[in-house]
Amino acid sequence: MIAVLALLAGVLLGLWLDPTVPAALQPYLPIAVVAALDAVFGGVRAKLDRIFDDKQFVVSFISNVLVAALIVYLGDQLGVGGQLSTGVVVVLGVRIFGNVAAIRRHLFRA
Amino acid sequence: MSDDSGQSRRGPKGFTPDFLTELFRNPLDPGYADAAARRAKTGRAARSGWSVGPVGLVVVVLLGFLFAVAYRQTMAEEPGRAQARSGLVEQIKQRQGETDALSTRAEQLREEVNRQREAALGGSHAARLRELEASTGLGRVRGDGVVVELADAPAGQDALSDTDAGPAQVIYLDLQSVANDLWGAGAEAIAINGQRLTSTSTIRSAGQAILVDFRPVTGPYEVSAIGPGSLRERYEASGSALTMRQVAKVTGMSFAVRDADDLTLPAAPEPRLRYAEPAVSPSVSSSGGDESSGSGTSPSPSGGGR
Repeated sequence: MIAVLALLAGVLLGLWLDPTVPAALQPYLPIAVVAALDAVFGGVRAKLDRIFDDKQFVVSFISNVLVAALIVYLGDQLGVGGQLSTGVVVVLGVRIFGNVAAIRRHLFRA
Repeated sequence: MSDDSGQSRRGPKGFTPDFLTELFRNPLDPGYADAAARRAKTGRAARSGWSVGPVGLVVVVLLGFLFAVAYRQTMAEEPGRAQARSGLVEQIKQRQGETDALSTRAEQLREEVNRQREAALGGSHAARLRELEASTGLGRVRGDGVVVELADAPAGQDALSDTDAGPAQVIYLDLQSVANDLWGAGAEAIAINGQRLTSTSTIRSAGQAILVDFRPVTGPYEVSAIGPGSLRERYEASGSALTMRQVAKVTGMSFAVRDADDLTLPAAPEPRLRYAEPAVSPSVSSSGGDESSGSGTSPSPSGGGR
């Protein structure tokens, strides 16, 4: 419950502060969001599996976002940015799907 | 689930050789299982319910923040794109307006030039010049003739015909064959949607658009031709008329030929001849041109005698 409230607080904070993203960071924003989603669904699933761990959640969130951004950055430097970000999205998407499927099994037993 | 993840971690490093298989089978970070195992060893119970530690809370706030920022960013980019598109549309419209204004001005100037020239030249010379211009398409002409109307099939009628690519459309070949058969039927001047055809005119397609003399024309298409009184009968018997009637019946395109009295066809823009020069002495060529223009219908530019 508190986590949901905190999420809402973050959203409101973001809407209220309305920060401008520096142009250099703009290409990484969508990838960072996908990586963050992966961390969130992983955390929810771990919670439902009763193996949730604060430290693991924090570390996985931060490292996911950073690694995803780093891969895209490297890809941009090598001239394969589009393909690499597709790869990142595919991998993270597979993980999100798997975790959401597990969550669904937990919640609906189906 | 936990036994699955436990089985998947082989060796102390916790990596399996086949990354993709592992990814599909167990998408959860192995760290959670590690942490759970550690906790079980130390005997600390996992938190219950939805409570998260303070650091986790900060991260969740950060997450919400990130989502909000990304949302804002995407929304902020959207009007930019729409603006760019509407700006481009605006520019196109403006340029088209400029082109129209300029061609009107060119028309006026040409009339002016004609008047001045007639004033400068004697009566017979001016008359012959006018005749030459009319027959080559560089002068406005009037007369009785026919109007051939072609239009795309209305959208939604394609269900009747079994085309896969939407409603049937008039293509440049249709206009070409109509123009050719009109020349063949004895037309002396033809204009498509107000674009006069000359000896250097082209009818071609560029993507979806049809270009007549490099100016785009859009449907419904109106091919006006001035010719003898029998022009309509002769055209109706031609190949393109028969074909187009059949095509129109099958696809829902519209095709009509009607007589028209007192048509006025505009002048074509002056062709700029950059490479071709008059080859023979002017006296011979002018008399020859006079004869051929007098003999009438034969100088058809795009193969009228088909």
